[in-house]
Amino acid sequence: MKRFLWFILPIIVLITLWEFVSRSGFVNLALFPPPSQVAVALWEMITSGTLFSDLRDSLWRLLAGLFLGSAFGVVFGLLTGRIKSFATTLTPIIQILRPLPAVAIMPLVIVWFGIDNGAKIFSIAFAVFFPVWINAHIGARQIPQTFLWSAKLFTNSPVKIFREVVFPAALPFIIAGIRTGIAIGFIMVFISELSGASSGLGYRISITSLAYRIDQMIAALIVLGALGAIADQLFAFGTRKIFPWIKFSSR
Amino acid sequence: MSNISIKNLSVHYDGYCALKGLDFEACKGEFVAIVGKSGSGKTTFLHALARLVEFSGDISAPKNVGMVFQHYAVFPWFTASENIAFGLDNETKEKRAQIVRKHLKLAKLEDKKDKYPAELSGGQVQRIALARSLAHNPEVLLMDEPYGALDAYTRDKMQQWLLDIWTTHKKTIVFVTHNIEEAIFLSDRILVLNDKKFVGEYKISFARPRNESIKFSPEFNKLRQQIFESLNHSNN
Repeated sequence: MKRFLWFILPIIVLITLWEFVSRSGFVNLALFPPPSQVAVALWEMITSGTLFSDLRDSLWRLLAGLFLGSAFGVVFGLLTGRIKSFATTLTPIIQILRPLPAVAIMPLVIVWFGIDNGAKIFSIAFAVFFPVWINAHIGARQIPQTFLWSAKLFTNSPVKIFREVVFPAALPFIIAGIRTGIAIGFIMVFISELSGASSGLGYRISITSLAYRIDQMIAALIVLGALGAIADQLFAFGTRKIFPWIKFSSR
Repeated sequence: MSNISIKNLSVHYDGYCALKGLDFEACKGEFVAIVGKSGSGKTTFLHALARLVEFSGDISAPKNVGMVFQHYAVFPWFTASENIAFGLDNETKEKRAQIVRKHLKLAKLEDKKDKYPAELSGGQVQRIALARSLAHNPEVLLMDEPYGALDAYTRDKMQQWLLDIWTTHKKTIVFVTHNIEEAIFLSDRILVLNDKKFVGEYKISFARPRNESIKFSPEFNKLRQQIFESLNHSNN
């Protein structure tokens, strides 16, 4: 209860202050709409269904991109981290692509995939891949030799060693990588919807700017921010549920 | 009857010589201890014996070797029972469950079977490590300073527990330690490893079963002194 109070109190203070400043007459009301007006705009977006459809489209792109980027990142990271032939052949290619800002490939991706979901999901997956890959790669490289030796003494199956020893041993790193990936995914979903989209929270934010509906824009921004925080917490909660031992890990 | 026979064993790591020209024999069911200082090559010797590192020379030893590592190497992502079950893939489900139950009992951890290593004490984790090795029914058990990280009291209890298990299972054990007292108390024979070579061999003839009281006998002290001198003397 006390913790909740400390969590909610600063938010209430901030909103009150904002309301007060907006209504004080010192600022342009059209540029700095008070929270009460933003709340009304948010309510309109909820009742008209635009918020729901924006959320649905953005979340779908985000989840699909995150899943693909993470899955490839984990698999390639474990392979390059553990198997020499993969490391020597793949690492240079990945290292050349890695410094490319995902935003810079957007025009090319749109040319390739058009302006449908494909382009957006690809660019999100592309951006998510690298932090997940590098973390999985480092995670797989730092596995104590005794773990690998024990595994080797008990089983001959490389698949089993990868699944039951290499993957869990690298998991704290992988989780850190995916959490970074989630944050980057949110940036990319917004950017990919700025151009060539007709729905989604990013699209909503850019279109409300053109329509000069600052209240709607702020409402959409709040939803995007809240979603990011919730997604990260949900992911952390989920990993603790699926891998209960992770709480003993120092990372 | 010789269980392990090693001739002219050498190990090199990236140009660095870790062991040079060792000969070693161990009989079936024998408890051999190897004492040596840090960096003397004791751990490397066990790694070569388990064929985990490249070596030159001849090693004749059973294929089915169990190993308990210095830093437990019990998997932190598995519970006590999952750790013991790891790698028992050739068994049927019922047989596997039976082996796990039997070895949890041996480790005296039946009530902790669903606990993760981080939730257990150092002694308990080390008992899982040994139980996990025994679950594969190895002919030879290699132990690399298994009790180095335990407090003296737990260490004493673990030594007694190990002797009980060895008496019932009759595995050949090669036990590496830097603790002379531990080596005398546990083993039939002690080899002193110094600067990559064996420099001394001591037969330990205390009657079995042994208990703590022998550690206070004059013979025990005399042996300890001899081994201590052998460890330090050859360093010059």
